[in-house]
Amino acid sequence: MRLYQMVVKDITRRKKRVLYASVGVVIGVATIVAVLTIALAGETSINSQLEKYGANLMVMPAISNIDVGLGGLSLGTLAVGENRIPEDKLPEIREITDGLIREARGIKAEGNIATIAPKLYVNAEINGTSVVVAGVDPQEEHKLKTWWRVSKGRYLQTPDEALVGATVAELLKFNVGDRIALNGREITIAGILEETGSNEDYQVFVPIETVQEAFDKEGLVSSIDIRALCSACPTTEIASAINGKIPGVRAVAVKQIAETEMGMLEKINRFLLALAGITLAVGCFGVVNTMMTSVHERIKDIGIMKAVGASRNQIVKIFLYEAIIIGVAGGFLGYVAGTLLAYIVGPLIFGGVAVSYVPQYFLPSLVLATFVAIIATVYPAFRASKIKVADSFRSL
Amino acid sequence: MLEIKNISKIYGKEIAKVVALNNVSLRVNEGDFIAIMGPSGSGKSTLLNIIGGLEYPSSGEVILDGKRIDNLDEKDFVDIRRRKIAYVFQQYHLFPSLTALENVMLPLTFCGTEKGEEKALETLKEVGLEGRAEHKPSQLSGGEQQRVAIARALVNSPSLLLADEPTGNMDQKMGREILGLFYRLNKDGRSIVMVTHNPEIAGHAKEIIVLQDGQIADKISQKGGRQ
Ligand SMILES: Nc1ncnc2c1ncn2[C@@H]1O[C@H](COP(=O)(O)OP(=O)(O)OP(=O)(O)O)[C@@H](O)[C@H]1O
Ligand SMILES: [Mg+2]
Repeated sequence: MRLYQMVVKDITRRKKRVLYASVGVVIGVATIVAVLTIALAGETSINSQLEKYGANLMVMPAISNIDVGLGGLSLGTLAVGENRIPEDKLPEIREITDGLIREARGIKAEGNIATIAPKLYVNAEINGTSVVVAGVDPQEEHKLKTWWRVSKGRYLQTPDEALVGATVAELLKFNVGDRIALNGREITIAGILEETGSNEDYQVFVPIETVQEAFDKEGLVSSIDIRALCSACPTTEIASAINGKIPGVRAVAVKQIAETEMGMLEKINRFLLALAGITLAVGCFGVVNTMMTSVHERIKDIGIMKAVGASRNQIVKIFLYEAIIIGVAGGFLGYVAGTLLAYIVGPLIFGGVAVSYVPQYFLPSLVLATFVAIIATVYPAFRASKIKVADSFRSL
Repeated sequence: MLEIKNISKIYGKEIAKVVALNNVSLRVNEGDFIAIMGPSGSGKSTLLNIIGGLEYPSSGEVILDGKRIDNLDEKDFVDIRRRKIAYVFQQYHLFPSLTALENVMLPLTFCGTEKGEEKALETLKEVGLEGRAEHKPSQLSGGEQQRVAIARALVNSPSLLLADEPTGNMDQKMGREILGLFYRLNKDGRSIVMVTHNPEIAGHAKEIIVLQDGQIADKISQKGGRQ
C-alpha cells in the first residue's frame, strides 16, 4: 500500500467528513462561477443589443428635432430646420467614411467599404390605415439588417415591390402577391418579414426611388445609416468629420447613443464583477478556514501517524493528497452549483437574459479550488506536524 | 540495549511547575519484561514517552544501542520509531476508516514498503486475528482492537515494545488474553516495557519498577517472571 492509496481509501470511507471539509470550497467556487457566468451573460446581452443597432453611425438632417421643455418638464419635441437630406450628399459621405476607415485600418483596396443605407420615411394611408413606409436601398439595407429573415415570399428585387413588417402584415391581413396602392402608385407585396421585436414590425419597406417618386420627394432622404463593419472603426471621428464637412446634416456615432442606453446594464455588470472579486477573497478565506479547522481536528491522527513511523514530510504529503482530492471534487461541485445558480438568478438580474454555462470556467474552477485547498491545508499541516506525539494526544 | 541516565522532566514554569520525573535511571536489556507501576500522576507515562521519543527529557540521557537519542532531532527519530521502538496505547489509536489489515500495513507504508500485505497478514496471524483482517476497528471488540494495535507495533519487528496501560480499557478476561500475547512476544525475544496498574499483570513481568512522585521508589526482580 502506498501513501496515496491509503489516502484515497481513507477519504472514500470518510465521504461525509470530506464533503464537510469541501463545503467551503464548493460555496466559494459556486459563488464566483455564478457571478462570473451572470456577468458574462449580461455582457453578451449588451453586445448583442449593440449589434442589433446594425448601424455604427446615423446621419440625420441638422436640428431635426429639439426637445422642448421647462425645467425638468418635457413639452414634447419640435421639428426645426431642413427635414430631409439631399441625396447628392451621399457620395461625399461615403468618401469621408471610407477614407477614414482606410486610414485607420491601413486598407489599400479600391471600392466601397462601409455600408451606407439611406432611408426615406413617409406616412401613407394603406387600406384606410396610416402606416410608416420606409424607402430603402435594397442592397445596402440587406447588408445592414443582418437579423432580417423573410418568413413568407422573398426579399425586394424590383422597384414596384414591398417588404412588409410582421405586425403590419398581420393587422392589415397582407399576403404575398397582394397589391397595394402607395399614394396612387400600385406595388406588389414581395415578402413578409419575421418578427424582429423592434419598430420594423410596424413598417413597410419599399425601394427608395419608388417612394421618392410616389410622394414627390425626388432626391431627398430622411436619414442615413452607416455600418462600418469593424468593431474598431473610428466611428466617432467619422461622425465629427461628416459634421464638420457637410453642412445641414448631423452625424452621430451609435456607440454614443448606446453608451447612455446601455449605461445601466454596464453598471450592473461592473457591480457584479466587483462582487466576484470580493467573493473570490471571501471564498478563499472560507476555504482556508474550514480546511485549517479540519487539519486542527486531526492533530491526534497526526500524532498517531508519527508514533507509527510517519515522517513530517509524509504527513504533509497525506494532507496534500487530501487537498488535491477535496480541491478537485469541490471545484467540480462548485462549478456545477454555480452554473445552476446563474441559470436561476441571472434572468432575475438582467431581465430574462439567456444565461448559458461557460465551459471555459470549468478548468480554472478546479485549479483555483485545488490551489486554495492546498495552500489552506499544507501550511497548517506542516505546522501541525511539528507537534510532539505526546502533546497531540493531550490536545483533544 | 536501552539505558536512561538521570532523567528529569519538568513541565511548566514557576508556580505551574510540575516535576514529573526526578533523576530516574533505568536499564532495559535484551529480552527484558519490565512493568512500571505507581500511583496516578507518578510519572509512568512520562517515563515511557521519553523512552519512546514521544517526549524530550528536561535533563539526562537516553542511550539506545550505545548511542544517545535524547538529543536527536525529529528526522533521526523517525528511523528509530520505524525500526527499533514501537508503541502500544491504552486507547489503541487505530484509524477508524482503515481495516485491521490496513492499520497494520500503515507502518510499512511509512517505511516505503509497497507490498506489505503479506507481512501484515502474517503479523495479524501472530496476534490471532487473521480472520478479522477486513474488519474496521468499530467492528472489533476492545481486546481485538488492542491486538490489531499490537500487530501494528510488531509489523516492523522492533526490538523494544512500549505499552502504556494496554489493558486499561478492558475487563480482566480480555486483559489476560492481551497479557498472554505480550508474554509470548517476550518469550520470542522482544524486550517489553509496560505501564500497568494491575498487580496481577505486573506479576508476570521479570522486573517491576515502582514510581512515586517522579522517582523510582522500588525495583522488584522476579526471575523469569511468574508463569
Ligand atoms: N504536558 C504536561 N504539562 C504539564 N504537566 C504534565 C504534562 N504531562 C504530564 N504532566 C504532569 O506530570 C505528572 C506525571 O504525569 P504522567 O502522565 O506521567 O502520570 P502517570 O503516572 O502516567 O499517571 P496515570 O496513571 O494517571 O496515567 C502529572 O502530575 C501530570 O499532571
Ligand atoms: Mg499515564
